[in-house]
Amino acid sequence: MRRARERGTALPAAVVALAVSVALGAGLADLLRTEVVLARERIAAATALAAVDACAARTLAAVPAGWELDGLVAGPDATPGTADDGRLADEPGCRAVAAPAPGAPAPARVVVTAEARVPRARRVLEAVIGRAAVPGAATLVWLDGGPGASRVSGTAVLDGRGPEPHWAALAAPADPETLDGWLAEAPGVDAARAAPPRFAPPPPFTTLAVRAAAAAPAGTAPLVPPPAVPAPAVSFAPADLPLDGAWAGAGLLVVDGVLEIRGTVTFTGVVAATRGIAVRAGGTLAVTGAVWAGGAEPLAIAGTLAVRRDDAAVETADAVLPLPRLPRLLAVRDVG
Amino acid sequence: MRARARGLTLVEVLVGTALGLVVAASLAHAVASGGRLLASASARAEAEDTLQLAVETLAFDVRRAGWDPAAAGLAPLVEAEADGFGVVADLDGDGGIDAAGDELVRWRCDREGRRLVRTVGRQPMPLAEGVVACAFAYAARGGAPLAPPLDAAARAAVAAVGLDVRLAPAGRAPSARRVRVALRVAP
Repeated sequence: MRRARERGTALPAAVVALAVSVALGAGLADLLRTEVVLARERIAAATALAAVDACAARTLAAVPAGWELDGLVAGPDATPGTADDGRLADEPGCRAVAAPAPGAPAPARVVVTAEARVPRARRVLEAVIGRAAVPGAATLVWLDGGPGASRVSGTAVLDGRGPEPHWAALAAPADPETLDGWLAEAPGVDAARAAPPRFAPPPPFTTLAVRAAAAAPAGTAPLVPPPAVPAPAVSFAPADLPLDGAWAGAGLLVVDGVLEIRGTVTFTGVVAATRGIAVRAGGTLAVTGAVWAGGAEPLAIAGTLAVRRDDAAVETADAVLPLPRLPRLLAVRDVG
Repeated sequence: MRARARGLTLVEVLVGTALGLVVAASLAHAVASGGRLLASASARAEAEDTLQLAVETLAFDVRRAGWDPAAAGLAPLVEAEADGFGVVADLDGDGGIDAAGDELVRWRCDREGRRLVRTVGRQPMPLAEGVVACAFAYAARGGAPLAPPLDAAARAAVAAVGLDVRLAPAGRAPSARRVRVALRVAP
């Protein structure tokens, strides 16, 4: 008994201090653990947000250029009322479904629900996809593939200057760096006054040719010898169109084949050739507006091709026959 | 045994007491430091969490500004000032804005109350207390700053909304955020 009374308070004090220290340490550790968990959740949420934005962007990039968006709602089989209605993207980590937008049918638009999954998180957004206000692709030369076998042994001058942003020299469903490399390696191309190439879906040549044929059933090309100034109109050639001599035109010229220039042609508006444009040595094609070309050899320039941006000229072409437009993300909202 | 039961001398008591006081003071100091550290870390963590929540909420509101599935022609920004802005979104797709509901959201730096307030419809929701600095910024496409207040024409050119905010909980080090959120209906 006596010894117990002599023991003092050191041990209880040490135990109490240890307990308090442990409690404080545990509190701090818990706080840190909570913050680590929160940080991990935030990283996952931010990753999912970026993933769903990317999912929406990929979905948008896969929407073809055109006029309406009904095809998106009809699904891959293009038949409304079937099981695949609205299906746009269905790949690991990205799923997108289109539905009609509320309200009046015009302007064309759909509501796309995109869902992205990443480890530890999932994110859903809705996007309104419509058509760009500006016809075409804001580019001087719009291709339906890469440059392919295009050759420029003559001169091609591409002038995209205008209200910011300048028009791109080239647009195509290809890697812009590849397009830029092609431009850099083509010695006769002068694209210093145009913006760098950019990605775009291909021009819808098949539908455009059908529409142009319907608008200009006679198939006559209203090109006139200069200095006469033609009125803007739709011109449609159902096959290859070789042009000798001097001609001038305005509006929209659609050639369902190769447009072959052997003389001198000036055009104000949009020139579209589904299988390419060939400017022979000594020939000149000067376009104030834009050029759209397709085929395996979209550009074969042994003479001179000059394309200069002119928004009004393209709008005039759009007025004589509505032109296709790129899809555009009009609005977004996060829903989960 | 007799010698051990003899008791303590005055010197032994004084030395023991002094040593005990030193140990107790050290322990008290360590415990107090630990407590202060815990309190400080908690306050800092809370401020950081508050700011992060504000940033995420701002991103949510600005990203959906101008949501207009019915193509009614909504302008996403209805006001844009240095200490506040308002955004609209036609969430139900009826072509109009219900200003009393969640289709109209206003943000305000309440300098007097040292608060950052988000008002949904008519319902104010304080997002952060202890705000010592707060301002909204606006940028055009390409990043050029637009000086507020902005009229309707200038608001139409806004491509991003920014928030610069600093919290300083009483007696604590400040926490700050500077964020820019792009409008998804940018011109």
